[in-house]
Amino acid sequence: MKTKKVFLVDDDFIFREAAEVLITSSGLTDEVLHFENGLEAYNRLVELSETPEHLPEIMLLDINMPVMNGWELLEELRQVKSVVRDSIQIHILTSSIAPEDLNLSKEYEFIDGYITKPLTRADLKKLSRSTVAEE
Amino acid sequence: MSLKIGSSIDMSELPFPVALVDHRFEIKEHSEVFYGYFGFLGSDRLPNNLEDLIGRIPDSLMGIKRKKSLLKNPISEFVSYVSRKGELRWHKLVLYPDVSRSGYFLYFEDVTQKKIAFDLSVQAAHTAKIGSWEVDLVNNKIYWSDMTKEIHEVPKDYTPDLEGGINFYKKGEHRERIMELVSDTIENGGSFDEEFVIVTAKGNEKWVRSIGSTEIVNGKATRLFGVFQDIDQSKRASIKYQVLTDRMRVAVESSNIGIWDYDIVNNVLVWDDNMYDLYQVNKEDFSGEVEAWESTIHPDDRERSLQAVQEAIEGKKQFNTEFRIKTSDGSVRHIHGLGKVFRDEKENAIRMVGANTDVSRIKKADNRLRQLLNTTEKQNQSLLNFAHIVSHNLRSNSSNLSMLTGMLLENTNPEKQQRFLEMIRISSDRLDETVVQLNEVIKIQSDPNINLQWVHVKGTLTEVLESINAHVEEISPNIDIQIEENLKIYGVKPYISSIFLNLLTNSLKYRKPKIKLSIVVEAYEKDGDATISFKDNGRGIDMERHGDKLFGMYKTFHGNKDAKGIGLFISKNQMDAMKAEIEVMSEVDQGATFVLRFPNPKQTKA
Repeated sequence: MKTKKVFLVDDDFIFREAAEVLITSSGLTDEVLHFENGLEAYNRLVELSETPEHLPEIMLLDINMPVMNGWELLEELRQVKSVVRDSIQIHILTSSIAPEDLNLSKEYEFIDGYITKPLTRADLKKLSRSTVAEE
Repeated sequence: MSLKIGSSIDMSELPFPVALVDHRFEIKEHSEVFYGYFGFLGSDRLPNNLEDLIGRIPDSLMGIKRKKSLLKNPISEFVSYVSRKGELRWHKLVLYPDVSRSGYFLYFEDVTQKKIAFDLSVQAAHTAKIGSWEVDLVNNKIYWSDMTKEIHEVPKDYTPDLEGGINFYKKGEHRERIMELVSDTIENGGSFDEEFVIVTAKGNEKWVRSIGSTEIVNGKATRLFGVFQDIDQSKRASIKYQVLTDRMRVAVESSNIGIWDYDIVNNVLVWDDNMYDLYQVNKEDFSGEVEAWESTIHPDDRERSLQAVQEAIEGKKQFNTEFRIKTSDGSVRHIHGLGKVFRDEKENAIRMVGANTDVSRIKKADNRLRQLLNTTEKQNQSLLNFAHIVSHNLRSNSSNLSMLTGMLLENTNPEKQQRFLEMIRISSDRLDETVVQLNEVIKIQSDPNINLQWVHVKGTLTEVLESINAHVEEISPNIDIQIEENLKIYGVKPYISSIFLNLLTNSLKYRKPKIKLSIVVEAYEKDGDATISFKDNGRGIDMERHGDKLFGMYKTFHGNKDAKGIGLFISKNQMDAMKAEIEVMSEVDQGATFVLRFPNPKQTKA
């Protein structure tokens, strides 16, 4: 089942490192790719849209990031090939507990979940189940 | 045959219309002018009977016809007839019985003009609701005309008495006053003319005008008579108008409203007293021309205000504007002007009337309100930023700690444990740093007594540069300082040092690789306002993208690992606390210029 590729988009390197350990140890995947901001992730997704089979199955996306934040990346994703949105399970992963952020996330029909930090094994189990169900 | 009247007068020679008729009104004799009086000419066939002459005989005279014997006393009656010219004429007809001639002398007097005048007076009295009254003090009888009864709302057969008449006057001051006047008039003669309230027979209160006079015989009042007018409608309207006028006067006086009246054709401007107070102008010094008003308007508002007047005269817009005036003592007042243009039948503007209100206090309150609103908005923004810091930085670090401690407990690999501990330390340090920054922000925002003083700009900049000397030497930028030696700004020394430090280290941090960093610091003073700019040739900022959040908390724009997104936020808070402004102009790859503006403290205080 460790065939999934996970994009982890977060400006906090401590979080990325800790989350990667948690993700890999949970058995979800061995392939966690790190992106410091939305722009880095966007550029990679545009590249991969030409070869959709290489797109990640899951993207864990932080909201508050420099250069391009999570909302800005989501707006950009509206403009790319639909295969990008259709192929990836996108989950917001944020420390924000503001209701307005949660509400805003509902305006993006291609968002699959909203996870509040800290990331837990229970969150990853849910993720694992939902990706299996999709397959 | 001619008939003699008495012994010497021939009837035919009498110069007025007179005739002798029998009991059937047959005309037996007449004066020569008699038929001519009725418009008959000599050639006309002359009627022999009075009925043929004047038409129908009044009923009151018809008894004569049936009675063969003569009446003992003269009888008179008013008769009307249509003359041969087609005019309605009124006559007083008098019949004098003459036994010797077994007939009546008939005399006519044309009373048409009197009748018309009488009818008009009756009509006028009715229209004006004027009735008459009379008190016969000798026989103690009272007479009220029909109109007087109508005013009292009593039936036409009502018989008044003096006490009853007085009792119609409203109890209290009105009744007491009429009693006093009647008593005084009877005792001393003379007359009265006053307004009262009566309560009619139907219970309606009504304003009346009562005019009374006395007839004195042998030094004693024998008759009191006068007229009585229903003035209820006009009096109530007048009271209402008076109330409105009083209210208006009180409102105008208490609200500092000045009224002006401009005769456009003759260029005559009339002000009421409030206008002189409003403009602080002496009546004697005011020429009464529109130019006198113009000269008081603040130069910056003059053209616009005159334009507003012109547009009102041309009918393009209502005159409804605000402008400032300069009073004789040099103070500035804010005036709200309203006006209405009056036009002649050809639509030419002939007059303009309006009001001026001193709205200086409202303006001042409005400005205060705006400042308060501004402060509240800033505080709201600060609260949002605090929410952000709690949500983002505190929570992100605390959640890191939560995750890492869990992983530490789960994992027994010493190497991994060591790494987790290291990550816990970093997160813990970050948490501490966040708390320190938060404390600093709170200190700036909550300190009501910041110590404002004159700060030497060049000296402060030199101190800051010295404090980062090692860093500066390492990067070795060109630093060009163009600051007047003695330039001082009114602010908080530690804040100014902090801002200078932040801007300089930002320039060092966000320099372009492989290009020698250049920093230009300029400072100058104009009209008491000081401006300091920090210009670099660094990476610049995408203003279109980040301009609105540049000074927000934890906003970074270059993806630089060292960027914390707190420096500009703190600088902005410090500038706000000093009531100064910070602004940035920048383009990506074109460097950035931060401009600090410190207003003249004298104007800020005022």
